[in-house]
Amino acid sequence: MVIFRLKPQLEPTLMEQILNRPEIQSAVAPFIVALLFSLGLKKVTASAWIWSIFAAFLIAASLINGLTLTPLTGTRKIILAVLGALVVSALAPGVIQRANLRRSLLVLLPMLAVLWVFWKVAMRMEITGIALFVTAAVGLVVALTWAFDRLTGDPASFHAAGFSLMLGTGLCATAAASALLGQLALSLSAASGAVLLAWVLFGNAVKSPHLSKSLTALPYILAPALFGIAAVLLARLPWYALIPLATIPAATSLVPGKIESRFFSALVQSIPGLVIALVVSFWVWQTGSSDSGY
Amino acid sequence: MKRIILLATLATLPINTLLAANYTIDPGHTYVSFAINHLGFSTMRGKFDRQSGSLRYDPASKSASVKIEIDATSIDTGHDKRDAHLQSPDFLNAAESPTITFESTAVQWNGDKLASVSGDLTILGVSKSVTLTVTSINCGKHPFNKKDVCGFDATGSIKRSDYGVNYGLPAIGEVLDLYIELEAFKN
Repeated sequence: MVIFRLKPQLEPTLMEQILNRPEIQSAVAPFIVALLFSLGLKKVTASAWIWSIFAAFLIAASLINGLTLTPLTGTRKIILAVLGALVVSALAPGVIQRANLRRSLLVLLPMLAVLWVFWKVAMRMEITGIALFVTAAVGLVVALTWAFDRLTGDPASFHAAGFSLMLGTGLCATAAASALLGQLALSLSAASGAVLLAWVLFGNAVKSPHLSKSLTALPYILAPALFGIAAVLLARLPWYALIPLATIPAATSLVPGKIESRFFSALVQSIPGLVIALVVSFWVWQTGSSDSGY
Repeated sequence: MKRIILLATLATLPINTLLAANYTIDPGHTYVSFAINHLGFSTMRGKFDRQSGSLRYDPASKSASVKIEIDATSIDTGHDKRDAHLQSPDFLNAAESPTITFESTAVQWNGDKLASVSGDLTILGVSKSVTLTVTSINCGKHPFNKKDVCGFDATGSIKRSDYGVNYGLPAIGEVLDLYIELEAFKN
């Protein structure tokens, strides 16, 4: 007995049709929300850019995943962890003066999130698999922390690296057979791009002070680590694709010299990360290339 | 004294539990498959290649129960990349929830024929009540190994959104038709 259904039973409204489109959910909506929040909050709080990304990601996650948290899958834990990291980094500007403590927390907090999200999957691995998973996760988080630590003095390179890293992570996750993880990561990229554009338009007005004395890099370390590991463990992203992606912030930090124009500064700082992100994504897409089945 | 305790314990069990025969599902002749609307154009089919389970069946006492465990990583639609996608967090999230289970909670009889089986279907850790209509039952001696064997065919429908599998809605169908054809040997 096969039931044929040629049409959905209820025709969605025009607004539902628009909001159901992946490009709206993971690019247009978070970009617009982040840009509006950046402009609206620029004189209210120094952490405007963080709250902008928080609002954009919250909207995007609710469009992509819905507001439900049950069952509490790994993907939903990632959403909660990223939102939590954004809140922590926004509420603790400049409170941590000791560099060593800050760096330790920037490694420790993402690692705790990694364990919380993936312990269920890790517990099914062989002991060697668990050891490799933990080693790779620590390596990834330490590499991102080290690289972002070198960028915290310059908003252009800081946000350009975050934008490119999340773009590469999102595209790779999408190419590795999880549109859900890919869309969520791409929404963070779109929000970071909007923050970068707001900096180009208004400069120091949206620059968060104390970049080097706070946990502001936490979302840019935690989010790509969680989405990258999830794409490996829960989907089919080859683990070695994370290595070139992890070099994006370091590559951004290598761009020399100061450029007066904020537009050209943002553009130049974005180029190394974008090149790496697009090349890795294309390679992941090619290695898994075949008809998608849809 | 031990015999008295044993007899007293047995006396507390429902009589049909004692009479019903226990069967073990033969994975080589058990097929769990599904059909779902594809973008409004046609019906896409797939199956799971690995499942196990057991059942009790006794038409004389009109008692039956079944428990099936399906390996979510064994989904097979005849297309490797699509199968990988179906195992990803977009659909079955097989790395985190590798097992789909169906455990009966009630059975309905039509005369001496098993008509339907109601039970809890658990996908992604979400359990929902599902009723499977039994379309065929045949029991007898297996012609080759001479063991007692029963074969069942059953069908039912679920809404995947009930289990939090929302990816691709409404383009990819929401209602999934389930087909279970199984053979089980008497223990």
